[in-house]
Amino acid sequence: MAEQVWAGTTYGNEWMHKWLIRMLRYIDVRILYLFVAVFIIPVCLVLNPSRGIAYRYFRRRIGYGMLKSAWKTYVNHCLFGQVVVDKFAMYAGKKFKIEIEGYDIFIELTKHQEGFVQLSAHIGNYEIAGYTLVCRDKRMNALVFAGEKASVMRNRDKMFADTNINMIAIQPDMSHLFEIDQALQDGEIVSMPADRINGSQKCIEHDFLGAKAKFPLGPFSVATIRALNVVTVNVLKTSATSYKIYVTPLPYDKTATRQEQIKQLSKAYVAELEKRVKQYPEQWYNYFEFWQEG
Amino acid sequence: MEQLINDLKSQIKEALNLEELSLEEFDENAPLFGEEGIGLDSIDVLEIIVLLEKNYGIRLANPKDGRAIFQSVRTIAEHVQANRKK
Repeated sequence: MAEQVWAGTTYGNEWMHKWLIRMLRYIDVRILYLFVAVFIIPVCLVLNPSRGIAYRYFRRRIGYGMLKSAWKTYVNHCLFGQVVVDKFAMYAGKKFKIEIEGYDIFIELTKHQEGFVQLSAHIGNYEIAGYTLVCRDKRMNALVFAGEKASVMRNRDKMFADTNINMIAIQPDMSHLFEIDQALQDGEIVSMPADRINGSQKCIEHDFLGAKAKFPLGPFSVATIRALNVVTVNVLKTSATSYKIYVTPLPYDKTATRQEQIKQLSKAYVAELEKRVKQYPEQWYNYFEFWQEG
Repeated sequence: MEQLINDLKSQIKEALNLEELSLEEFDENAPLFGEEGIGLDSIDVLEIIVLLEKNYGIRLANPKDGRAIFQSVRTIAEHVQANRKK
């Protein structure tokens, strides 16, 4: 079966990224939020198909009325703009107030000799977790898109230089798979998103927010192949200057068959994702037809 | 070598649940990935990595070598023969 390569990347060219970082060293993020909300988002909403996708999500999956869905579509795009600004603000050295729920769970897992898997989703701003949930004794390996802009990768490298974080870029020669496996064999942490189908088209279907949706099999297969502990980490924006990180363990029966383990683990992941999406519906950033709605 | 190839074919077929593929049809020289070959994908590679570790004690020293090793059952067999610890 043909494998897909994700074509997404951070908007803008290197020059723009450089200036954005310089600007954010001196100005408050809220000034840029305002600029984005007034000048950028309205244009995006006119030009981008994400408008319809977000509207249908609010209307059908969250159950809002027509007007509220239209308003929330605008809010959702503004928030997406804000998390992008926040990423560059971090590169510029700005700090955010972070609250962590379940930090003890993360710390406990880092004490074990064996590695563990940390699953994320495209809600909120997961990159913030990379600056907070770190462990000196256990290296964190984050799976990232190899086609990301060089400036973004350089800034990430710079930000993560003093932390125990290694980036594993998804490669067409599949070398990232061997790196992931090696990291887990060495008792390290591997972090990857589990809500988008990239590469392998193998997937598992679950009821999610009232309709069937497909989730990639890969992350669940990686975790269960060595019967590893798994947590899901979701990072949600709570104000202009603060985020809340939710660390939740995902239980599954490690003595069951592989297929059953994958089913149980993915079901637990989807249940937790649904809980967070219901809690923060405006911070859902999967701008493609996620559900099979006929 | 031929015995090792046959063993690998059986083990891969079982691990990946390739029920529709008979051992006779399973060509050891066919590419494992892509439309023209067996049609495996990246998730299947992980299963084979664990299989090689469990059955032959093989750990891939350099992740960059992976693509070349996993080209076909024959290339896997050559790697196993040269590096097996079990």
